[in-house]
Amino acid sequence: MDKVTLKIVRTGGKEASYELKYKKGMTVLDALTEVREKQDSALGYRHSCRMGICGSCGMTIEGLPRLACQTQVSSLNTDTIGIEPLHNMAVIRDLVVDLGPFFGFHTSVNPYLVRKDIQERDSADREYRMLQSEVNRFLQFDYCIMCGLCYAACPTAALDPMYTGPQAIAQAYRYMADPRDEGWKQRVDLLDTAHGLWRCHTAGACSFVCPKDVDPAKAIQLARMEVLKARVLRRKERGGSQLVPPVTTPAKQGVKAPPFDFQGGTEK
Amino acid sequence: MTEQKRFKSGLVPSLLPFGFNVERWSYSIHRVTGVIMIGYLMAHIFETFQLGAGLTAWNNTMAALRSLGPLEMVGLWIVAGSALYHGGNGIRLILNEMFGVLMGKPILPVYPYSPTSLGRNQRIAVWTITAAVLALWIWAGLYLLAGLGVI
Repeated sequence: MDKVTLKIVRTGGKEASYELKYKKGMTVLDALTEVREKQDSALGYRHSCRMGICGSCGMTIEGLPRLACQTQVSSLNTDTIGIEPLHNMAVIRDLVVDLGPFFGFHTSVNPYLVRKDIQERDSADREYRMLQSEVNRFLQFDYCIMCGLCYAACPTAALDPMYTGPQAIAQAYRYMADPRDEGWKQRVDLLDTAHGLWRCHTAGACSFVCPKDVDPAKAIQLARMEVLKARVLRRKERGGSQLVPPVTTPAKQGVKAPPFDFQGGTEK
Repeated sequence: MTEQKRFKSGLVPSLLPFGFNVERWSYSIHRVTGVIMIGYLMAHIFETFQLGAGLTAWNNTMAALRSLGPLEMVGLWIVAGSALYHGGNGIRLILNEMFGVLMGKPILPVYPYSPTSLGRNQRIAVWTITAAVLALWIWAGLYLLAGLGVI
């Protein structure tokens, strides 16, 4: 492959075609950058880190939502690459989409640690201590970079603009599974709505396109079981853990801390 | 901020699974077969409702259906396939969604990534259901052809 052609859907739905020389190791983001630098300075797209961390360069490449910086041109097995904005989102300009509603869904599930003790939360002098086995229950879902690919791939989000979406539900579960969190019940109420987690039909497209293996489809099903525990089994709060909160640690009170095995100690 | 039109959202994009995983194809087929079954249910209710309108109305409805000839059987064959797929895939989805079966447990992602919810067991379940449905659908087709006296 000597040359590669980018067919980009621009603002208003018009398709523009750009031909450029292929270089070994070229990513789609590299190609877009070259187009903007040498052919069309008006081409609009988002990018930042160029290493799959910031999640800015999400776009539809050859029909699938992908990160442009993580997609090698050679891996697409074609010399004519179709590029569109992410689906299910409003276009601001060219490949730049409005992520506002998507971030709004993320915010709506309270994606932060909820603690009942305000003094402890605001004046903690040390970290919360958890078992490694407890961390492993939510760590996978903590790797989300909020790129929006899962939302763009989701067929339910295509039909229901009010659907909370795979990313937000996965983040809600991430905190539901966190032993430090005390907002389990409020997240159950936030997810158990008409546009909440019951709208998912387990198409799995979110997990298929996720660039970080966050596996939102799995998180949604795990969140469903938490909601069922609350609704069917009438559970009021998340199950107990061996979490040691900061203020109440024995060290704080001048008492020697008990031994704590961070690498998977036995749970009660 | 003003309401903006979302890019490629709506019914048609939601039903196009090209390039995606097999579970996404399964989703689209599940939706289409569901609509076919609802259509059949409506037609079936209308058909049986004719009984209440009297024997003549019922006989006329039956005569109209028989006048379709092989098309009636083709329609029934499509309904049979829809019911089989929707039912079989529905069992998988209930196990997935209500009990977390085949979804896997949280793991520490290691590159190259392979989501456990779309793992080997899930694919085996999807393809087993598809194969079983196809076998039963072929059998249903033969049964209907026998009813027509073709075989």
